[in-house]
Amino acid sequence: MIPPHSSAAGDASSVAGDAAGGTKKTKARRQSPPESKWRRGAQQRIYGRRLLEAIRARPADPRSIKDAADSALALTAGGQTRWSRAVLFGRSRRRRTVHLKAGGKIRRRQLRRKMVAEASMELPPALRRKKVRDRLRVLSKIVPGCRKLSAPSLLEETADYVAALEMQVKTMRALADALSAATLSERDPVHDPHGRGENLES
Amino acid sequence: MSGRRSRPRQSASYSRITDDQINDLLPKLQALLPEARHQSNDRASAAKVLQETCSYIRSLHREVDDLSERLSELLAATDTNSPQAAVIRSLLM
Repeated sequence: MIPPHSSAAGDASSVAGDAAGGTKKTKARRQSPPESKWRRGAQQRIYGRRLLEAIRARPADPRSIKDAADSALALTAGGQTRWSRAVLFGRSRRRRTVHLKAGGKIRRRQLRRKMVAEASMELPPALRRKKVRDRLRVLSKIVPGCRKLSAPSLLEETADYVAALEMQVKTMRALADALSAATLSERDPVHDPHGRGENLES
Repeated sequence: MSGRRSRPRQSASYSRITDDQINDLLPKLQALLPEARHQSNDRASAAKVLQETCSYIRSLHREVDDLSERLSELLAATDTNSPQAAVIRSLLM
């Protein structure tokens, strides 16, 4: 469970490389469905290792730990999704993220006008209803990096994000359970005749 | 990322988001929601799926916050007691 190497730096640079041509890649590539990708044991182990590295590198207050968990999650996502890139590049700036573009300009306003225009004209009936559009907008604010996406892309990003979050919760819970079991067994060695603490290192 | 000015970000289908695309993606999203796994919920309305997705993501965020708190407490507790610290640190290092 203990990582012998630190792959965080290497992954960050590969993520940066992906981001440059990211749009084209995600369009052309058929990814495996997010549910199966995030539920594979391999992903959980990879994430678990990264999580431990990230926790180790930071102070132990709750916010830093959450920060560690989110960074590790975005790294494990591999920068293939917008939300993971937004999380990674949002680290270097504080809250208000400036979306990285080739020209360096913020094109948010321009695109939003375009999106609204599209929304009122050529949408399928499901999307024309105001309620649905409102909910889509809320969703786009909750999923990182997705404020300007079209509905299909937003839904795809959301599916991946939800699956990733579930894995994050599962892994963090397992880590917390392991740590509290270690804590308890240390405190109360009488009830730990089989050396339960040792199992945690396997 | 360049060339966004001259052409739509996606292919020509951007201006024609099809019914099929949405109808394809919404059930997929719905399948990820916890309720869908218990009931056989056949095609809830788009609005409902989106709303439940939003609340589900929010609840997942809250769980991450709670787990971060819990982990923080556990890690703080280990510093006071060296036998515990040995075990915990062996996990972290």
